[in-house]
Amino acid sequence: MPPTFETEHRRNLLILDTGPIRELVLFQAVHRYGFEGLRPNLQCIFDRDSYIRCTKFIRSFHKKTTSASVVAELNYWIRETDRTGHEKLWHRVYEEFREMGMDEQVVKLLEMDIKLVAWLGPMDVSLLEIARRNGNLSPLVLTVDRDLRDECGRAGFRAQLLKDLALTEQDRGAE
Amino acid sequence: MTPEVMQPPPHSKRVQAWVYAIMNPIIESLQREVFFLDKGNITWQGDTRRCEYIQPIREYFQYSQRPNYDDFVADPLNLGFREKFEEHDRGLSAVESSAAEFADGLMHSEPFQKQVKDSLEQYQSTTRTNGQYPYLDSTAGSLPRAVAALLVNQIDVLPHHYGTHEFWEMFKNEFEPYHERPTFQAVKEAAAALKDISSKVLLDLENHRQSLCRTYDIPAAPIPTDKSRSTDASNV
Repeated sequence: MPPTFETEHRRNLLILDTGPIRELVLFQAVHRYGFEGLRPNLQCIFDRDSYIRCTKFIRSFHKKTTSASVVAELNYWIRETDRTGHEKLWHRVYEEFREMGMDEQVVKLLEMDIKLVAWLGPMDVSLLEIARRNGNLSPLVLTVDRDLRDECGRAGFRAQLLKDLALTEQDRGAE
Repeated sequence: MTPEVMQPPPHSKRVQAWVYAIMNPIIESLQREVFFLDKGNITWQGDTRRCEYIQPIREYFQYSQRPNYDDFVADPLNLGFREKFEEHDRGLSAVESSAAEFADGLMHSEPFQKQVKDSLEQYQSTTRTNGQYPYLDSTAGSLPRAVAALLVNQIDVLPHHYGTHEFWEMFKNEFEPYHERPTFQAVKEAAAALKDISSKVLLDLENHRQSLCRTYDIPAAPIPTDKSRSTDASNV
């Protein structure tokens, strides 16, 4: 079978920020596991069609990775939710990581630019550093954070807002 | 001799503890149980051999609230709930053991193992020619157990970004005949029985909560206190 345009151009590396992982976990928790109390926390993916658009986009990448700092930030988020649900939310996070084949990379503080850390915080800068280290894999950063998206652009890396993926063409026209 | 019934006073903190710390979390969890059992998904996990989201009643509230649970089931005002909870837990035990028997049967079945292996080979040859799908080389060893769990839980569709999404789309219908096994029929029967029990306990708890709230004039959930207002006031 000859390679198709899609297989030839299949993207190599997706770098996931905390926001998209949290949103995937939340959507599954609400829609698949019935945790209705978490519904108000959804910020970008509100319906099944949006979820399918986002997950198909994620699937189109050969490799997915994130920063160890993102895991720490997921912990801050989960700690703010009802205590009885912590283990269940961690189960969902583990499932996302396992099923996506997510890699996790460590970026040391001393390897980060101090001005950028002061501006964006160490977590966002760690994602930029992962993008820089993997420049040969044409990385793309998936985030919900406009500042990080803009900084990726300035640094010469592609970035995508989850909200834009979740919107339909019709929604975009209405914005 | 029947125990003496001590009527709690209006706005009783004891009754509030029953409602907020015990009944509310159990009601929410039973609602989720019925949600899953309606879909035929018992949320069974092969590694723990337990249902992830259907649990014994005592696991539905915080461990630190155990004394309030013991007080709730011991008080004659809440007569019958201890037995109802025990019936629920026995029903769950039956579901988990039948699920384990079905899954173990699959794992020891040569035709099942061969079918998973053949399906994976077919899938891998497709991925080699069509790079659109993820490779499953790293999950090959755990795939039979994963397929067994998907069959136990009657999972129809996996999220698109899951590594096994495409595999399951391609082969789920070919694994469907395993649902005809008597051991799976036993899972279905146990799950249906549990759903009946859970629905009944849920209804009884909801009615009893309403009755306690009316009798003792307490809200059905704690009312959030406005901390910002009190902070502002203290700053004045």
